[in-house]
Amino acid sequence: MNTFSLALPARPFTRPYAGLLRWSALAAVLLNGLFPAAWILLTAFKNEAELAQSPITWLPAHPSLANFVHAFRDQPLLQFIGNSAGVAALSTALTLLVASGAAYALARLQVPRRGLVLAGMVAVAMFPPVALLTPLFEIMRTLGLLNTWLALILPYVVLSLPVCTLTLVSFFQSLPPELEHAAMVDGCTRLGALWHIVLPLSAPGVFTAGLLAFVNAWDEFLLSLALNSAPAHRTLPVGIQLYQGEFTFPWPVISAALVVAIVPLAVVIVLFQERVIGGLTAGATKG
Amino acid sequence: MTTLVLSHDTPTMPTPAHPRSAWSLSERALACLLLAPAFVLLALVVIYPVGRLVYASLLDLRLSGGSDAHFVGLQNYADLLNDADVRHAALNTLGYVVITVPGALLVGLALALVANLAWRIKWPVRLALLLPWALPMSFSGLIFAWFFHTDFGVVNDLLCRFGVAPISFLLSPTWAFVAVCLASIWKASSFVALIVLAGLQTIPAELYQAARLDGAGRWAQFRHITLPLLAPSLAVAAIFRTLAALQTFDIPYAMTQGGPARATETIAMLIQTNAIDYLDVGYASALAVMLFGVSLLVSLLHLRRVYREANA
Repeated sequence: MNTFSLALPARPFTRPYAGLLRWSALAAVLLNGLFPAAWILLTAFKNEAELAQSPITWLPAHPSLANFVHAFRDQPLLQFIGNSAGVAALSTALTLLVASGAAYALARLQVPRRGLVLAGMVAVAMFPPVALLTPLFEIMRTLGLLNTWLALILPYVVLSLPVCTLTLVSFFQSLPPELEHAAMVDGCTRLGALWHIVLPLSAPGVFTAGLLAFVNAWDEFLLSLALNSAPAHRTLPVGIQLYQGEFTFPWPVISAALVVAIVPLAVVIVLFQERVIGGLTAGATKG
Repeated sequence: MTTLVLSHDTPTMPTPAHPRSAWSLSERALACLLLAPAFVLLALVVIYPVGRLVYASLLDLRLSGGSDAHFVGLQNYADLLNDADVRHAALNTLGYVVITVPGALLVGLALALVANLAWRIKWPVRLALLLPWALPMSFSGLIFAWFFHTDFGVVNDLLCRFGVAPISFLLSPTWAFVAVCLASIWKASSFVALIVLAGLQTIPAELYQAARLDGAGRWAQFRHITLPLLAPSLAVAAIFRTLAALQTFDIPYAMTQGGPARATETIAMLIQTNAIDYLDVGYASALAVMLFGVSLLVSLLHLRRVYREANA
């Protein structure tokens, strides 16, 4: 690239500005993406008195962890986290199980009306969950499943299924079929080949699909609000709404609870960013 | 991995060493078996509920009273057409679509173009795109409600520094709507940016090199290479954002609860209030059928293309 640009006519006037423009663009992107979380972090370390000051302070004058203690004491925050983690983990596992079977059939086996099945998958991916609100509420109420993990796991699996299936289809198709045939000649069944050969080789795709399913379940709000409204059964996004009273908004405590909820997310993103970026759009752009 | 790459262009359809006739039947059965769980779940969570939804929209079904539900035909639909709250919420929802979809596309495109430059350390830029994407929408609603707080919000603090009088953002109907739109654009632009970024990375660098040799400037390159080749990604992002904006719920619920004076209330919020708070399932179902119908129209635009591509 460098040798190439040497061959181009120099543009002396734009050079210094280009550098400045580039760095201010970077600053804008970073500020846009990270300032809201950073502001919440700063708020979480301020005390009530400092918060009520006018003009507001930017950096906490007397940083303390008191808000975090309150966040855990005022509401069952640990329970919210447990519910969110349990629901998200179980629905991710179930999604991956069902999606990898379906994806393998679509990638390798003769599926009647394959085009229609794929289009159906995309159709479900675009389905508005809000339309499911009343019937699911009725169904779960009849089955006595309101305020249970299962009430959320079932819809979450279905809502993530299409994206995960489409992601896995493209991964499975990129593997050479000879590997499975060799295994099958050696006495492996189709399912054995899927389990022992295809899935391990598609680990990045499985991981990406799993991450998408997990984030979908972790973030969902409307169904969780409607189906699991008892405080002890709330997931994190719905539970955090409980900190606000009828007329009071304890912002420092809400901020502390938000920080507790956001930090694990940020750590996961930094660790696995490559995977997420690579796989996030596979389903969407394919679809 | 190299061996995998070498044999990459082999056909994906199975070419078994065994005679085809001995395999085809059991393969077909296995395919159906593998697809079955997905279809059972789909039937249970989507197909049956949609049928139930349409049926319930024809009943005066209330979960609160002990009385039986009666078939009332299209009464619920007639009621909602005459309901001023519904009209108001429909206009708000339409407003969210018209404002936040183009807004998020523009901001997302800009974010992606910057993120796609050659940065030596990549993770801060990526975190800046991924964190807003991964954040629950309700969190971004809460965070922006705090930003726009009249007395202690950072937005009014900045305005004061520029000599502008503080604005009661969430207490004025117009400003509250603007604030909710800004929060939605912030949250949605990261999703758009990630889709556009994936599209940008598929554009071959040779195109730009050739254009530069032909003397094309930055703007000409963007106008004649980047934008046309990004069109499919932008179209996908636009469709998915439109569908999401039609269902706007989390952000106004967390920021304003639909207020002040219903200025930020959406159709999705009306469905939730009617179904869960009033337990008026018939009316909520009719509302949901209407919203579902509109989303379906948008989806069909997209599905037509997918189906054509899958068969091509």
